[in-house]
Amino acid sequence: MRPFDILTLMQFCWAFLAILGFSIRVNLKGIKILFTAISGGLCWATYLIVLFYSRSVLFSVFVSIILVCIYSEVVAPKLRTPVSVFVTCAIIPLVPGRGLFQSMQLYIAGENILASKSILQTLMIAGTISIAIALVSSVTNLIHKMLNRF
Amino acid sequence: MPKISIKQATELALEVGRILLQSGSATNRVEKMMQKVCVGFGYPETESFVTPTGIFISVKDKDENISTSIRRIESRRIDLGKITRISRLVNCIGEDKCSEAHIVKDLDKFRAELKRIDAEQIWPGWIRNLCGGATSGFFCLLFGGAWMEFIVAVLIGIIVSSGLKYLGRLGFNNFLLNAIAAALIVFLAKLMDLYIPYIRLDNIIIGGIMLLVPGLSITNAIRDTMSGDLVSGTARAVEALFITVGIVAGSGSMLKIWALWGY
Repeated sequence: MRPFDILTLMQFCWAFLAILGFSIRVNLKGIKILFTAISGGLCWATYLIVLFYSRSVLFSVFVSIILVCIYSEVVAPKLRTPVSVFVTCAIIPLVPGRGLFQSMQLYIAGENILASKSILQTLMIAGTISIAIALVSSVTNLIHKMLNRF
Repeated sequence: MPKISIKQATELALEVGRILLQSGSATNRVEKMMQKVCVGFGYPETESFVTPTGIFISVKDKDENISTSIRRIESRRIDLGKITRISRLVNCIGEDKCSEAHIVKDLDKFRAELKRIDAEQIWPGWIRNLCGGATSGFFCLLFGGAWMEFIVAVLIGIIVSSGLKYLGRLGFNNFLLNAIAAALIVFLAKLMDLYIPYIRLDNIIIGGIMLLVPGLSITNAIRDTMSGDLVSGTARAVEALFITVGIVAGSGSMLKIWALWGY
């Protein structure tokens, strides 16, 4: 898969539509839905593009989560919405549901070593997501404090 | 700003906190919002302590009278729309340019507005179920499913979304709820597999599971821990872990049961 071809665009669309459904399911309304959906699509597309160039899952997750967190911090105040609402919707495509299911399948099949490997990978992804969110929110807090002081 | 009694201020702040916490807000935000309500109505010396399962608030006035209240929070469900609207309302306190400024100046109107937000259903139930189906289906496509699998995943998503609502009414705890929902997903997928040829179950089941994964708990756990609320951060992390274990246990046992059955 090339990074900027029609397949990536399609993947962007699927992520966009999935998050669109998700945000209606959690009772959001109005123009916000569109922007949360864009953040979901952006998250997944960035992940795929960075994955193509870097070949490292964790690095791609880190970069894409940081990108969507910055996007949320910029867009959310303009729509008078809490930032956490945006971040919650945006990270959904990367939350490792697939890793979880695969580890469980491997575990049931009796492949303990492969299962442990998969579980470790899943935990690492979850941890990376946490670190990226924490990083962006702390830096934003710092910037707000600096702006208030001067 | 109008002067209201210390009891009324406590009650109002608790109500704001309750709605926010029940909709799945981070505890730090709940504390800030309650503080803002009390300051707005003339009680700057307010201390609050919020955990995911309860709110403690203590309001003090100029004559050293203290009013303390505790509220236990039992049921929690994700509702980001309520969080947004309550935040908007509270952020209007003390600002004149806001569109909701006339509401927050009057205690009765404020209460009525809170009650309205709490009871309001933005989207009818069937639209939300349909969107649950769409989410599940598009995640199936995202992870490499074909169109036939997409249709099956949408069907399963709709059934599971509406099923979750009824199970929630019965008052199951979070672990059991997610385990049953995950088992239902695997059961339906396996059932469809018997009648529809050439579909791959992995993508369908993963699409369904994406409806259940605890994204909000993870986000909240990180935000709480980062803002220094270690108690609620840990509690949320454990909640996320338990939901995950529930999903795995439910889908795993159902897969094993089908395998034992011989299909």
